[in-house]
Amino acid sequence: MRKTPLNAAHVEAKARLVDFHGWEMPVQYQGILEEVKQVRAHAGIFDLCHMGRLVITGPDREALVERVFSSNLGKMKLGKAKYGFLLNEQGFPNDDVIVYRGADVVHIVINAGNRDRDDAWVREQCATRRYRATVANVSDEQAMIAIQGRDSEATLQPLCSADLSQLGYYAFTEAQVLGLPMLIARTGYTGEDGFELFPAKEHGRRLWDALLGAGKPFGVCPIGLGARDALRLEAGMPLYGNEIELDINPLEAGLDFGLDLTKDDTIGIPALRAIKAKGLSRRLVSFVAHSGRVPRHGYELFDGANKLGMIASGAASPTVGKNIGTGFVPLSHTAVGTKFEMDVRGSRQPVEVVQGPFYKRAR
Amino acid sequence: MANRPANVRFTKTHEWVRLEGTTAVVGITDFAVEHLGELVFVDLPSKGKKVGKGETLAEVESVKAVGEVYAPLAGEILEVNAGLANDQTPLAKDPFATGWLAKLKVAAGTKLDDLMDVAAYQKHLDAGGN
Repeated sequence: MRKTPLNAAHVEAKARLVDFHGWEMPVQYQGILEEVKQVRAHAGIFDLCHMGRLVITGPDREALVERVFSSNLGKMKLGKAKYGFLLNEQGFPNDDVIVYRGADVVHIVINAGNRDRDDAWVREQCATRRYRATVANVSDEQAMIAIQGRDSEATLQPLCSADLSQLGYYAFTEAQVLGLPMLIARTGYTGEDGFELFPAKEHGRRLWDALLGAGKPFGVCPIGLGARDALRLEAGMPLYGNEIELDINPLEAGLDFGLDLTKDDTIGIPALRAIKAKGLSRRLVSFVAHSGRVPRHGYELFDGANKLGMIASGAASPTVGKNIGTGFVPLSHTAVGTKFEMDVRGSRQPVEVVQGPFYKRAR
Repeated sequence: MANRPANVRFTKTHEWVRLEGTTAVVGITDFAVEHLGELVFVDLPSKGKKVGKGETLAEVESVKAVGEVYAPLAGEILEVNAGLANDQTPLAKDPFATGWLAKLKVAAGTKLDDLMDVAAYQKHLDAGGN
């Protein structure tokens, strides 16, 4: 298994380590439910070094990104980030990504499990169109650490050269943390305020320990992938492989905000326009389970004998206090209040469609 | 190491059973509980249900996973620890006593000779517990 530059810190903290797409990653430290509560109440830090990062430079860098990115780079202000997809020709996502538009560079953060495929895909499109752009994969040279939760700014500010109060949501800047230059983005995957930091790999551990030190007054602690999954599900954020996949398109998943369907020269957008014109047959819904049984990825959904579809994600939500999930059902079953059943290993358990997201922070 | 009672027998799949005449008390071990992580629900069988040896007796939900509990021996469900559906603390903290799952009526003369004693179970865990 591959190890991140923070692996030793996880071992020292007695994290429970698991294989995540070939990476030895912490699934939990003191416990998933406690970690979710800590991030909702204060803040926590996350090792995201396994995620992929592409850096695109050169005169045609923006043309290349417009070609492969489902959202509209040209409409983004410099210094802003945006969520979208790398679509294939059929309009289905190779990945979901965050694109950061800099003055002379575009950064793309991609999922750990899709690193190699995305890298090859972007390079292939660059070569096919003969764009004068360079695609650098800095995933193994950079660390990536997130701090998420309402006390993130108070934790990070004393370590940081930039005035973080001036950094807006989904904005990023180059600044120094601990005197070390790095990209700082006000982005995240928890539904809370927070930052994602991209230091050089060799400084990852130093930054990790410094954040834990500075965050002591707020109880800042490391948060594992288990809590990360629950946090993002509560906040209504998709996970590649669950809510979107090579056979689940962004329209079905309700992720239209990551698409600009007016773009003509972007791979997959014309196909998605055609899919939309034809009409969807299923959509993602959020639901709560009226049951002690926890919804889980892959469970089937039924209305009587009629199989509706599959559960995409599920969790015991400490924030909502209920078992929650997302799943794909025919349009006839998407209205809020619709009741149907999940099949838990042969036993039928009642669920009810609710308005997502399950959690929204007060701003 | 956990304090495992000497008067119970263990399965390779981490159930324990204690015989009291023709009643068998069944639960899961501290190792199983630790492995599952934070418990959120226990699905118990209904009274009067007959289970065969090795069949699913109960399902324990944790935040991360569902653990199937297999009947260590055949019998009829006499009683279940129904409170565990709402509060899993006894199972998490005290799996060999207040965290019991079900009581089964078993045939007279039932022996547990094919199950492990506490020392053999520890050896099984030392070898990985699989």
